[in-house]
Amino acid sequence: MKNSLPARVLLAAALLLTASYAFAIPTDVTYAEGDASIRFKTGKQQTVEIGAVLNTGDMLKTGRDGLVELDQKGVTLKISPNTVFTLMERERKGSTTPVLSVALGSIKFRYDKLTGKEPTVQTNGCAMGVRGTEFSVFAGADGSTLVLVDSGSVEVEAEGKTVALAPDEGVEVTLGLGPGEKFAVHRDQVDYSKWNDEKLSAMLADPAAAMTGIEARMSSYIASVTEYDGLYRESKQRFDDLIQQKTRILEEKGKEDALKFQNEMVSPVSVQASHLFLNLRYFSLAALSLRRYVGGRMYMYLKSRYMTAPDDGIWTEFVSRFNRVLASFEQSIVPQLVAEDI
Amino acid sequence: MRPPIIRLVVLLAVAISLMSCASIQRAQDQGRVGQVARLINSGEAEKLAAMSAVPFLLDQEIIPLRADIAAFWGNVVKTGYKVEGPELEKGSPLSADSYRVFADTMEAKAFFARYVKKGARVLELSTGGGRRIVLLVRDALFSRTLYGFKGPF
Repeated sequence: MKNSLPARVLLAAALLLTASYAFAIPTDVTYAEGDASIRFKTGKQQTVEIGAVLNTGDMLKTGRDGLVELDQKGVTLKISPNTVFTLMERERKGSTTPVLSVALGSIKFRYDKLTGKEPTVQTNGCAMGVRGTEFSVFAGADGSTLVLVDSGSVEVEAEGKTVALAPDEGVEVTLGLGPGEKFAVHRDQVDYSKWNDEKLSAMLADPAAAMTGIEARMSSYIASVTEYDGLYRESKQRFDDLIQQKTRILEEKGKEDALKFQNEMVSPVSVQASHLFLNLRYFSLAALSLRRYVGGRMYMYLKSRYMTAPDDGIWTEFVSRFNRVLASFEQSIVPQLVAEDI
Repeated sequence: MRPPIIRLVVLLAVAISLMSCASIQRAQDQGRVGQVARLINSGEAEKLAAMSAVPFLLDQEIIPLRADIAAFWGNVVKTGYKVEGPELEKGSPLSADSYRVFADTMEAKAFFARYVKKGARVLELSTGGGRRIVLLVRDALFSRTLYGFKGPF
């Protein structure tokens, strides 16, 4: 029988404590104006205030006139109006990496100093590796991403392809496709609203093409979730077995041997399990972001346009494909979510 | 023990009062349906957006951004959609299973549990052309909040 997610969250928390890991990098709100709110990972919501602290799993949303500036130990983030931003983490090459996730809208990133843990920046369409840089990320209505670099370098990766950007270069990534050709860009001359409006118009003009991108991205997330779910279950089983062995050692050989066994055998597996769980959650939440901020919005926009023509072929084909994506999401992603994620 | 006539009168009074409550409730539900239909039919997108909760449940979709909810109502009005001949079929208080009327999913269930306040009512109505609509509405002292809209289906 499957463990319920809350039980798995508790186990992962226990594993994290056992491993004495403290992954989260707190992020301070240093400036806030207009409509902006934080939804903490516990589900609690509050208006953004200067001095508030965000941690992994917390989401920040700005409205039409909302502007927020965050400081994450050397990384400054300027969050524009109509933006949805989440602090996440994942494991890569044996250590945890902060992930700054832009579901929608635009953010300007700037490194004041190297933190030693350079974050990954991600949107619904791509991930960006950052090396001492000032750059902007725009996440569009159709899941497209526009990355513009002011200084330093950024590697943009999507669908197995990578593009390296130098200062005054930019690239656009269409959802489900790799990065396009990079282009020269003049600083602060890109109008995000105009770009986003164009993306929205294109999406509404050709919903089938937009759905293809959503389907491809969701399939990729589902594959990752399935993989990490399997690995996490194996790791957890190994952890449970080791805990039983440790108990036997404690009874038969005493405290010292049990402690040695804990350090040599149990702790590495608990760290591995916690990393796997972190990645399982990371990909599950990324899939939720895709579903909510690209798929759900597309559904809303198209529905409102076809309310007077519900039998129109464009709408019925979209709904049919959208429902298939939802069915896959329900089957593979929803079991990894908790009510507080919603 | 009370004489039979008194018991009958008491029973009648209880029955009448229950019927009155049901009638009042139905009249209130019809008022809610009427207001939402009127706002849609008269193109009052801004009022609809103002009375809509954030997040908002549209069919099975949770719409988390106020700007999107406003865009939804704006588009609905712009396309000329009308709720023709709305007839209240059923009004129900919130229950543990109310979310199923919108979608039998964990997300809809979480939406009802986390965002819909006590006292909200699920209103199922039929409209012209045989299509149906579901509204999720809650009244406060001086305001009415629309938490969700499903349909026409």
